[in-house]
Amino acid sequence: MKGEEFPAADPSQDYSIVARGLLKSFGKLKALNDLSVRMPRGTTYCLLGPNGSGKTTFIRAVAGLLRLDGGDLSVLGEPVHSVNRVYPRIGYMTQHKALYPDLTLRENMEFYAGLYGIEGWERDERISELLEMVDLADHIDRITGALSGGMYQRLSLACTLIHDPDLLLLDEPTVGVDPILREAFWRFFDGLAERGATILITTHLMDEAERCKIVGYMRAGRMLAEGSPEDLKRLAGLRPILRLWVKDPQASASSLAADGLEVEVVGGVLQVRIEEHGRLKEILEGVEPSDLRLVEPSLADAFLRLSEGGSR
Amino acid sequence: MMGPKINSRRVLVVARRVVRQLKRDRRTIGLITLAPVFLMILFGYALSGEMAGINLGVVDLGGQDALRDHLATVDDFDLLRLGSESDAERLIVEGRLHGAVVIRGEEVRVLLDGSSPQITASIMTEVKNGLLPLKGLQNGGRMDVGGELEDVEGGWLGGDGIVGGSSGPGGLGSDGDIGICAALGGYGGPGAAPEVVQRYIRGYDLEMMDSVGPAVLGLVVFFFTFITAAISFLRERTQGSLEKFMVSPLSRPEMVAGYLLGFSLFALLQSATTLLVVVLAFGVPMEGSPLTAFGVILLLGAGGLVLGAFLSNFAKTEFQVVQFIPIVILPQVVLSGVWWPLESIPAFLQPISYALPLTYSSDALRAVMLKGAGISEILVPDLLFLVGFFVLAFGAATLMLKREVG
Repeated sequence: MKGEEFPAADPSQDYSIVARGLLKSFGKLKALNDLSVRMPRGTTYCLLGPNGSGKTTFIRAVAGLLRLDGGDLSVLGEPVHSVNRVYPRIGYMTQHKALYPDLTLRENMEFYAGLYGIEGWERDERISELLEMVDLADHIDRITGALSGGMYQRLSLACTLIHDPDLLLLDEPTVGVDPILREAFWRFFDGLAERGATILITTHLMDEAERCKIVGYMRAGRMLAEGSPEDLKRLAGLRPILRLWVKDPQASASSLAADGLEVEVVGGVLQVRIEEHGRLKEILEGVEPSDLRLVEPSLADAFLRLSEGGSR
Repeated sequence: MMGPKINSRRVLVVARRVVRQLKRDRRTIGLITLAPVFLMILFGYALSGEMAGINLGVVDLGGQDALRDHLATVDDFDLLRLGSESDAERLIVEGRLHGAVVIRGEEVRVLLDGSSPQITASIMTEVKNGLLPLKGLQNGGRMDVGGELEDVEGGWLGGDGIVGGSSGPGGLGSDGDIGICAALGGYGGPGAAPEVVQRYIRGYDLEMMDSVGPAVLGLVVFFFTFITAAISFLRERTQGSLEKFMVSPLSRPEMVAGYLLGFSLFALLQSATTLLVVVLAFGVPMEGSPLTAFGVILLLGAGGLVLGAFLSNFAKTEFQVVQFIPIVILPQVVLSGVWWPLESIPAFLQPISYALPLTYSSDALRAVMLKGAGISEILVPDLLFLVGFFVLAFGAATLMLKREVG
C-alpha cells in the first residue's frame, strides 16, 4: 500500500509538499526508498513509524538539508533545490533544542525574530503571545539554561513559530511536554492549520497521531499506509473487541469458537472480535457475563496490523 | 545555495547575540581578557624579571661606598669579594659567577655573562640603584622598572661607544667578546657622575622581552580567538542552531560575519589590555603607532576566529577542539619566529614557517613596535599575507558550513 493508492486527492486543492519517488541512501541503508507523499495545504500531517524508518530523513529533505539520490520534491511550490527561496516561510524544529542556554528566554526569541526581520512592537507582541501559548510568560527574563527539559521544548517550539510560518516541520515536538500542555499545543496547531498553514509532525505517540488530519505510516523508507486515522483503522481491517468477564473463560471461549467467532482469553478475560453487531445478543446470552466492555480499535492496533502486513 | 548578498541587519542580529552570550559568560570573558594579561605578565617576568640566587663578584678598589653597601643588601645576590678584575673574569668564564662589579674610584665596571638577559637586567638595575642616592635624584624620584630597563637597553642596543641613557630602537646587541660601554646618563650631576662601563665576557645580549613581547602579543590573541571561536561554532552545531540557521533567511557568510563582529568587541578589549601590559608594565618600546599595532593584532585575531570556525567542522566535541592546540597552535609557537629568529629554523622547515600567519604578525608587530614602521612598510608581505589568510579562512569556513548539507 503506498501513498498514491489512497483516496484520490482533490485536484483543486494545492499542496505544500509534493514528493515523488524519493531516494536517499546512507551507505547501504536505504533511508528513503521510493517515497511518495503529498501534503495538502492547511492540514496537520503526522509521520509515524519506528526508529530508522526515514521520518527524520524525509523532514530534513523537505528542509533542503539533504541531497536526494533521486525523485522529485517540491516545497511550498518551489523545487527542493531552490527551497531556500521559501525559507522565510518555513518553521523548522529539530530534535535538538537549538537554544542558547546563557541567554534569557526573551533574548533567545529576540534572536530568532531578528533572523526573520521581525522587529519593534510587532516582535514584542509576538514573543509575549507565543510565550503565553507555551505557558512560559512568567519566565521571560529567566536564563534559558535554568529551565527544565519540558520548558526547553516549549521555548524551542515558540522560537520556531516566531515568524508565523506557512509550513511547520516539527520533529518530535511534544517530547517532554505534559498532556495538558500538549492539548494546548494541538489546539494551537489546529488553529494554524485552519488559517492555511501546513504542519508536518513526526511522533512516536499514537494518541498524538490520532489528532492529525492525515497520518502516514513509514517503514524502511517507504510510505506503508496513509490516510485519516479512521481510514487507517478501516484499512487494517480492525473491528471492535468485546471484553467479557465470565465464570469459566476457557469453556466459554471453546463454545464461541465452535460457533465460528474469533476469540481469545487474555488475563482471564474473554475477548471476542465483533464481526456483525447482529450476533451480539447471541454472544451475551451464551456466556452470561458479569461485566463487559466494548473496545474500539486504536491506531496502534491498526499500525501493528499494517506492519505485519508490510513485513510479510 | 545562498545568494552572495549579505544583509547587514542579520549580521548585527548574530553579532548582538554573540555579545549578549559572552557578556553573561564571565569565565569566558575572564579567559578572553584576563588570561592574556596574566600570560603576558608571566612571560614578562620570565623573560625580563629579576632573578634570585645570582652569583655576583665584587672587586672593591675603593670609592662608591654606597654602591658597595647597596649590593650587599640585595637578597637576590650572593656576593663574592675578589681581589682583581682578572679573577672575576676568570670565574665568569668558568661559569661560577653570573657577573662582577669592579669599583675603582669614579669608574664602575660591570662584567657580565651576557647569555642571560634576565640576570643582566637584574645586575644592571641594582648597580644603578646603588648609585642613585649619591646623585641626588635630579630626575625626581626613583625610576620605575620599565624606565630602568629602557635606559639599560638604550645603552646595549645603541651600538658601540658611550651612549646616553635614552632608549634606543630594538636590535641585537654587540657581538662576541667585545665589550660595549654604556654610561648611565640622565642623572645629570656634571662631573660627579660615576662612569658605568658594561663588559660582556661571553655571548651577546638582547632584551628578550623587547624582541619576544610583540610576537607573543600576537600569539596570545590568536590562540584565544581561535579556541573560543572553534568551541562556539561547535556548540552551534551540537545544539542544533546551525541546522536551524540553514532553514532560515540567515546565510552562511552572514553568520560568520556576525560572529566576527560580535567577537571583535572582545578581541579589541583583549588586544588593548594585552598591549597595555606589554608596553606599560614591561617597557617594551612602542616606536610606531599603537593604532597600527592594534590593527595588526585585530587582523590576526580575525584570522584566528575564522580558522577556528573552519576547523570546528572537524571536531565532534569540545575535547576534540582542544586537540587542535598541538596541531594548530604549537607549530606556530615553534616555527613562526616568536622566540628565535626564522633564520635559525632548519631550511627544510622554513617553508612551513612562511605559511604561518604568526610569522607575519610577529614580523609586523616587531617592525611597528621596535622600529616604528608605518602601514606602508609592513604592507608587503605581512599585511597582505594576513589579509589573504583571513579571506581564505573566511571562505573555507563558509564553504564548510555549506558542506554540512549532505
